[in-house]
Amino acid sequence: MFRKETSAGDILQGTLDMLILRTLLTGPAHGHTIAQVIEHTSENSLEIEQGSLYPALHRLEDRSLLVSEWGVSDNNRKAKFYQITAKGRRHLTGQTIRWRQMTRAIGLILGERLD
Amino acid sequence: MSLRRFVHRKKKDADLAEEMESHLAHEVEANIGRGLSPEEAGRQARLKFGNPDSIRESVWRYRSLPWIEDAWRDLRFALRSLAKVPGFTAIAILVIAVGIGANTAVFSVINTVLLRPLTYPEPQSLVLLMNTGPQGTFPGANVPKFNIWHQQSSIFQFVAGYDTGGAGLNLTGGTDPEQVQGVHVTSDYFRLFGAPILAGRTFSPAEDSPHGGHVVVLSYALWKRRFGGDPNVVGTNIHMDGQPYLIVGVVGRGFVTESPADLWLPFQFDLTSQDMAHYFFTAARLRPGITPQMANAQLKLAADQYRRTYPGALGPQDGFSVTSLQEVMVGDARTSLLVLLGAVTFVLLIACANVANLLLIRATARKRELATRSALGAGRGHIIRQLLTESLVISLSGGFLGLILGMLGVRLLLAVSPGSIPRVGEDGSAVILDLNVLLFTFGVSVLTGILFGLIPAISASGSNLAAALNESSSRSGVGFRSGKIRSILVISEMALALVLVIGAALLIRTFMKLQAVDPGFDTHKVVTMAMSISGERFQNTAGVAQMIRDGAERLNTVPGVTTTAAACCLPLQGGFGLPFDIVGRPNGNNPSTGGGGYLPVSWSYFDVFRVPILRGRNFTVHDDGAAPGVVIINEAMAKQYWPDGDPLKDRMQIAPNAGPVFAEPPRQIIGVVGNTRDGGLNRDPAPTMYIPVAQMPDKETALNSRIAPLWWIVRTRVEPHTLVKSLTAALRDASGGLPVAHIRTMDEIVVVTTSRERFNMLLLTIFGSSALLMAAIGIYGLMAYSVQQRTQELGVRMALGAQASNIRNMVIRQGMVLAIIGVVLGIGGALWLTRFLASFLFGVQALDPLAFVATPVLLTAVALLAVWIPARRATRVSPMIALRFE
Repeated sequence: MFRKETSAGDILQGTLDMLILRTLLTGPAHGHTIAQVIEHTSENSLEIEQGSLYPALHRLEDRSLLVSEWGVSDNNRKAKFYQITAKGRRHLTGQTIRWRQMTRAIGLILGERLD
Repeated sequence: MSLRRFVHRKKKDADLAEEMESHLAHEVEANIGRGLSPEEAGRQARLKFGNPDSIRESVWRYRSLPWIEDAWRDLRFALRSLAKVPGFTAIAILVIAVGIGANTAVFSVINTVLLRPLTYPEPQSLVLLMNTGPQGTFPGANVPKFNIWHQQSSIFQFVAGYDTGGAGLNLTGGTDPEQVQGVHVTSDYFRLFGAPILAGRTFSPAEDSPHGGHVVVLSYALWKRRFGGDPNVVGTNIHMDGQPYLIVGVVGRGFVTESPADLWLPFQFDLTSQDMAHYFFTAARLRPGITPQMANAQLKLAADQYRRTYPGALGPQDGFSVTSLQEVMVGDARTSLLVLLGAVTFVLLIACANVANLLLIRATARKRELATRSALGAGRGHIIRQLLTESLVISLSGGFLGLILGMLGVRLLLAVSPGSIPRVGEDGSAVILDLNVLLFTFGVSVLTGILFGLIPAISASGSNLAAALNESSSRSGVGFRSGKIRSILVISEMALALVLVIGAALLIRTFMKLQAVDPGFDTHKVVTMAMSISGERFQNTAGVAQMIRDGAERLNTVPGVTTTAAACCLPLQGGFGLPFDIVGRPNGNNPSTGGGGYLPVSWSYFDVFRVPILRGRNFTVHDDGAAPGVVIINEAMAKQYWPDGDPLKDRMQIAPNAGPVFAEPPRQIIGVVGNTRDGGLNRDPAPTMYIPVAQMPDKETALNSRIAPLWWIVRTRVEPHTLVKSLTAALRDASGGLPVAHIRTMDEIVVVTTSRERFNMLLLTIFGSSALLMAAIGIYGLMAYSVQQRTQELGVRMALGAQASNIRNMVIRQGMVLAIIGVVLGIGGALWLTRFLASFLFGVQALDPLAFVATPVLLTAVALLAVWIPARRATRVSPMIALRFE
């Protein structure tokens, strides 16, 4: 779904950011874990090209929504762990509200009944 | 933020690579855990991950600042490509350096004279009080005017009178007497100019009133020089002309007045004085919020009041006004500097046109390179930016070199010919490299780079890609468009050069006319010396007359001396003027019959200067205080006031109604002498009257002794400088130990008075000749290039039977068409522009026919020479070689 040509779109890019931040709410994780979590929790319907995660991670870090640190993963490999910052949490809240409003609006336009 | 990203991006990139590797390893492990073979596990992982390189690239790009990278790349490329053509680069940089250097030089002077504020605090509110009237606006004050200006407290915060220390004082009592400049000031002077007081105080109002005692304030320089900076000097005495003066204060180092002062003395005006002669200046500080216009309105009322108080002292059209002090100081140097700036801008424009031409030629040679680059994906913007970077490299290097050249040049120029420009300090020492000059040079460099780079860049980048690549030969002809641009550039160079050379020709003619002017007196082998006669014994006329007789007698015994005279003033150096009445002649509406120069001189003045006595008799040593009053007038006065009558029958009342200082009985006119150009070589001789120094009213002598030194004038048989030592010794002997100063020959004074003209002429000649040279190089370059490009065509023509002379004439015709169009346009421009030179000209019209004929001829001749060389080369083309040229 997150193919190169669409990932440039602002909405979808924002969505990926949102998904990453949401994943990190439960605690620090490295890139591979984040990718797995997104895949699994979306019941494999969101199949992302895993590499496209990294530009997003670095961008979020540059905006101080995340911090990163090298560490050792469960299976004893060196990996970079990301952790959400307070600013990241605030951003996620704002984005989530916006997303809800938008999907609701789109849903209304499409005539779906939401509860 | 983004800059930090930019700086750290290399490290971040390595980080990212490692991170992605770790990700893949995790994925491979997970895949193996799912039971895949190691190869399949790796393949699946990579498939799922996507291309790591393209991810790295996209992160890298987002971390970079494109313009810095591009600029850096362009710069490196520009340096590489310029280094490949060192000859071209050197010439282009040099041409620009000369243009920018000349501009920097002129601007640094303008910066000092016009832009830099005066050194006083809040200089914009400092004004000089002026007299206005039909004769013009001029500074100058007397006590009645000072009083009424002083009363205008609604517009002026402080009002102070001061002179320029003209007479000088003799510092005695030390080991060697020294003549110092003592400036007389009123008590508010120091507060008005915001002078810092280092020690002691300034004059109290009591000290600045008649009989206020002998007090002085020292300048920092004199304090250091004479007293070694001793702070206890305040309260002690110094001796001047044998009298003790109490030192009340020392002024701080930063206080530098425009006319240099070693020390200050209180004016001690008698405020009830009714003397109407102007003998000092009055400056004022405007109250906050008062504009000069408001002050002038108020001064109109003041003038009316003055007219009522002193009937006849002010004509119906006369009045008062204020002018900003800076404006007064700069005077007419402003126009002169702005004209020079205009001229030097022309030089820079020609330099730009020349370099633009070089770049166009180079761009043609690089046509294929550029086409290849654009075929490889460089956009038009990229190519223009690249070419502009090259021209900016040239212009900034040229600017840097020009800065050095300009600052060296201006130093040299001001040392050689100070040009009597105000505010530049001794030998131009005030002209320095400051931020203004740096910014100016930098700005001009950038502007120049864009100016000469943009046209070639646009024209080079716009060429048809396919055509350029397909062109079988780069020598098949000059592209029509760039050829046209080059022609226009050459035409403008010729036109600009013509304007400059005409300007230079006008100034050269002016200078030659000035040199040829007969000043009316013989300047050769005459030496002049100033003696300050401020002592007590010179406060009456008899004392001065006695000293002149003694001095002259003693000087005449010095071997090599022919004649000796003394006078109030020197020719060409300005002097006094007074009104007069012709006894028995009605005045009409005017306060007096007329006015003219007024020169007290000793009896041998006309002999020393070899001024002819046209009618009547010369003064003799017997025309002294005991003899009846006499006056000699010059031819100009005789012509103006006695067009038909005989002046020798009339008597003159000099300075009627001018107060008690000048009160005297009428004088008999005893002679008419030839005109001398006292006001300057470029001024027509003014009506002038001469009186014997020995017949001056006593009070006038006393006043004079404070405002002007006595000038000794000695005619010698030998080179005057060789006698200086014995002359000064003789004078010290005869005067009882008075030193002399300002020893100069009359020839030197003539050189100084024409130095402004010399300065302007020198500069414009330099500018004009460099413009001419550059224009010649420009037209030569174009024609040489065009001949080279057309070798094949010329070969074909010759093979088909064209004669060498046909070919030559064709090239000459093509070159000269451009030159002549340029010359015609230049004449048009000069017809309009030379009017700005009008005020610098003397004896020449702004539309001088000689300059307007000779200059175009000269320019055409130079152009012909420049075209001739490539034309001759064209005829040497061998058809065989030409056709096989490719």
